[in-house]
Amino acid sequence: MKTELSMVGRRAPKIDAVKLVTGRATFTDDVEMRGLLHAKVLKSPHAHARILSIDTSRASEIPGVHAVITHRDVPRNPYTSAGQSWPEPSPYDMYVLDRKVRFHGDAVAAVAAETPEIAEAALEAIGVEYEELPAVTDFRQSMGAGAPIIHDEPESYGIYDASRNIAAHIDVEAGDVEKGFRLADVIVENEFDVQYQQHTCLEPHVTIAFLDEDRRLVLRTSTQIPYHCRRMVAFALGIPVRNVHVLKPRVGGGFGNKQEVVTEPIAAVLAMKTGRPVKLEYTRADEFTIARNRHPQHITLKTGVRRDGSIVANALSVLTNTGPYGTHALTVTGNTGTKPLPLYRAANMKFYADIVYTNLPIAAAFRGYGAPQGFFAMEVHMDEVAEALGIEPLEFRRMNHIRVGDTDLMSAAAGEGAGKKPRVIHSCGLPECIERGAEAIGWYQKRGRPGDGPIKRGVGMCILMQGSGVAGDELAGAALKMNEDASFNLMVGSADIGTGSDTSLAQIAAEVLGVPLENILIKSGDTDDISFDYGAYASSTAYITGMCVLKASEDARQQIVAAAARMMDEDPEGLLVHDEKVTSLSGKSVTLQEVALECLYGESKTVIIGKGSHATKESPPPFVAMFAEVEVDTETGQVRPVEIVTAVDVGRAINPDICEGQVEGAVAQGLGYALTEEILVDADGRVLNPTFMDYKIFCAADMPTLTTILVEAEEPTGPFGAKSVAEIAINGPAPAISNAIYDAVGVRLHSLPMTPEKVLAALDCRGER
Amino acid sequence: MIPAAFDYAAPASLEEAMALLAGHPDDAKLIAGGHSLLPLMKLRLATPQLLVDLGKIPDLRYIEEKGDHLAIGAMTTHYQVSISEAVRRRAGLLADSAAVVGDMQVRNRGTVGGSLAHADPASDLPAAALALGAQLVARSRSGERVIAAADFFQDIWTSALEPEEILTEVRIPFQDGKAQAYEKFRQRAGDWAIVGAAVSVARRNGTIDRADVILTNVGPTPVRARAVESALQGQPVSPEVVRAAAEQAADGLDPAPELKASPDYKRHLARVLTRRALERALQIS
Ligand SMILES: Cc1cc2nc3c(=O)[nH]c(=O)nc-3n(C[C@H](O)[C@H](O)[C@H](O)COP(=O)(O)OP(=O)(O)OC[C@H]3O[C@@H](n4cnc5c(N)ncnc54)[C@H](O)[C@@H]3O)c2cc1C
Repeated sequence: MKTELSMVGRRAPKIDAVKLVTGRATFTDDVEMRGLLHAKVLKSPHAHARILSIDTSRASEIPGVHAVITHRDVPRNPYTSAGQSWPEPSPYDMYVLDRKVRFHGDAVAAVAAETPEIAEAALEAIGVEYEELPAVTDFRQSMGAGAPIIHDEPESYGIYDASRNIAAHIDVEAGDVEKGFRLADVIVENEFDVQYQQHTCLEPHVTIAFLDEDRRLVLRTSTQIPYHCRRMVAFALGIPVRNVHVLKPRVGGGFGNKQEVVTEPIAAVLAMKTGRPVKLEYTRADEFTIARNRHPQHITLKTGVRRDGSIVANALSVLTNTGPYGTHALTVTGNTGTKPLPLYRAANMKFYADIVYTNLPIAAAFRGYGAPQGFFAMEVHMDEVAEALGIEPLEFRRMNHIRVGDTDLMSAAAGEGAGKKPRVIHSCGLPECIERGAEAIGWYQKRGRPGDGPIKRGVGMCILMQGSGVAGDELAGAALKMNEDASFNLMVGSADIGTGSDTSLAQIAAEVLGVPLENILIKSGDTDDISFDYGAYASSTAYITGMCVLKASEDARQQIVAAAARMMDEDPEGLLVHDEKVTSLSGKSVTLQEVALECLYGESKTVIIGKGSHATKESPPPFVAMFAEVEVDTETGQVRPVEIVTAVDVGRAINPDICEGQVEGAVAQGLGYALTEEILVDADGRVLNPTFMDYKIFCAADMPTLTTILVEAEEPTGPFGAKSVAEIAINGPAPAISNAIYDAVGVRLHSLPMTPEKVLAALDCRGER
Repeated sequence: MIPAAFDYAAPASLEEAMALLAGHPDDAKLIAGGHSLLPLMKLRLATPQLLVDLGKIPDLRYIEEKGDHLAIGAMTTHYQVSISEAVRRRAGLLADSAAVVGDMQVRNRGTVGGSLAHADPASDLPAAALALGAQLVARSRSGERVIAAADFFQDIWTSALEPEEILTEVRIPFQDGKAQAYEKFRQRAGDWAIVGAAVSVARRNGTIDRADVILTNVGPTPVRARAVESALQGQPVSPEVVRAAAEQAADGLDPAPELKASPDYKRHLARVLTRRALERALQIS
């Protein structure tokens, strides 16, 4: 392979940028379907109740109403909405519609009507009799004696212990922590609390379901997981997979909220019942109340260290609130332990977790996937451990972080990788990330200099790691076909949900095939294509699908070389494909266009189709050193981030602009998590702030200066050395800012979001004011 | 998030607008910038049958210096007020508070008249209007009356205006020589105030002649911090005096809890912001 790269590593504009900014990109809802019906869902007014009876007769009679469905009208196949590989490691505890409701807003019935207004009127005409049940609205009470059992139905399965409301449970140990603690000179223990966070995708969940001319169910849907969606809907509805066709148009953000089957099943049932296209679209309030969120957790960390700074035992335990359903219950919390724990070398590690049901909003996958919670706790805690030893926090991390050749002890022990071969670190740019990040923020000049006056300044930092795909549980299939003008149709099953993955994948193909970017016509996320993919999650697309595209492109390139060799009467060995031609060492050349025309219409009559399939046991971690500078107003408690420096080891930046964009977006979302964002729920389980007025995300005017440093510690198992980049940075702002607050004012914040009122209370406790 | 159906009229004159209001005493609403009314309509907290748009009426958008006062037309936007040289010079507090309303988009649409008529205790201009001793001119088919700001704000979202009255002008006595500032605390850029403090101090020979201190978002209307005002009156201008006076800003305050802040936190902010506003106005710290 060539060593000089021309397409990979280039800041190519996103291939869909122009169409997005000119409004030509078509999202799910940007089609006009003849006879489209509008679906609405009747939502539970109770946190926990049994449905005694539903009377739909009045609703059905309203002119313009085409279907009203309840649990009586849908198959009772337990499923999970978690878009994971089959069989999903999440409990099968959901039903398209059920006889019981388990949180405020849970679906009771659904209507399809000519207009949204008629559908709303029909909902009001449905009479439901409920038997209210006691509810659990504090996840610390879920396992308690006498707590109501949220999943008492016999059909659900895969629940760890339904009788105690435990959806999933983790108890793993590497080495022997108790022995480790006995060897310790100092033991530090801390507790942390983290909140519900909403993904706030620009585009809410939306599905248009219809039957095509062959009576196959087509789901035009805003999803991260077209292939999982196809299989899961088929299984939930009890219809053959072949009868489902999923189309992913442009998607306006996913962040994990669309690694879920949410609007698809009800839309599908209504389309099948009415024979008409049906649209089910969530409102913004729906997104805040009945979609998905990041899991709230209570985390305890206990670490034993020797005076020399080495860690002898590290134990993390978690209580997680999954809400009424266990979607991603095991695996998200799995990451809370298995991402941060192995970052620090220690012979003895323990990870314990209970993931419990409540009658509260649903928690599920969210960018970072359990790691933001874990890293907030771990990285604040490690600052405190370093302080207890009197070691400078940067130095403490340098001494203890994982490095090349190390085995990740947790990777084989828990989560989706459970029971598989442990991962070994092949690349680690963390030392360079730490050095360059520290220099960029001015760490040594600024640390410990809060300044005079009521507004103090501080700097803090953290280190992070993530994965690139789920170790041992990823698969991608792609194909590309050569056309007359040396353009290629590239079909991938992955889902570009705004990340820019289509562009990165096209760059990989263009690199291998020696063509400009515009020669690659990429289509992603159509399950009727020659492609397959687990979907856009776990930071997998560039690493897994990227390698798959590389293989498919290599396959096509070899066919091109063979054809060119025939045409030039040369030995295929030593032929080079570059700049839209194939050249030989003796100086002969044919253009790719000539090759294409010869193949399609000349003697050989072959269609050049390159195909690839890629799976791997590896999941190489990208690494980050993040630095935050903040101002803390000691009189109001206000924390203002001044600058965030993210030095990130991405292996290889296939497109540096896209990498930086992913980092900046993750930092913005991480800042909200750190400082402002929180779904608030009242004692009855009702969401109190389902609007952007009251749920506060960071907007442009709030953003600090962002500096992103791309470090390239080439990963031998990745395409052109690439690892992942999309999630990792979201883990950093919370711990880096908490540590910076400590540098500024000497108080430790262990609870998110770090609101002015909380910071002020912490200052008050210390008698700072 | 879609308003109920309504009719819409855009009268070309004040007379026509007054006639429309008189003809629909119960179900018409004026619309100015729409930035408070439309959100309520979208939530269906307001369901007017008829919207009477003031936007097409000429002569409601002006800032004039008249004898001893500034006259500001009701349809003047927050942005226009915030950049007006005359407002800066004659009533600095108004410019100061208009400049921190919402974000640029809101300041470009929202109007002085709409903001005052809406009587939202979380709005920034009502506190300033009280501190400035503004006079509000209301007109209807039955004539014109002038209402003192002190009598205007009656309860949350309730002003002294009658349904058929239109607020046409805000008059602000020249404030020349007074030390003024508005301090607003919000968690994020563009947000509403969690608490705000508007202060205006008249001095003579180094002593405080009179102080007006009004707080935003700590009660159903803007709240006058009387204890602070009397603690300042007759005192020399000094950091100690200001600090001691500001400590009394929360005396008697009973703010309702809200998602963003507990009553205790709001009381604390009232003290901090009052002190900061006074310090900035008087250029001491
Ligand atoms: C996102 C956002 C953020 C905001 N942030 C702030 C903030 O931080 N601080 C702040 O103070 N405000 C804020 N506002 C409110 C904004 O300033 C409003 O525009 C203002 O309060 C109302 O002015 P308006 O011209 O939009 O009035 P409208 O919404 O048109 O009207 C409001 C009410 O006043 C009545 N009305 C309007 N004009 C007259 C008149 N001339 N005579 C009699 N009645 C009249 C209407 O009938 C209606 O009941 C915000 C608004 C938004 C949308």
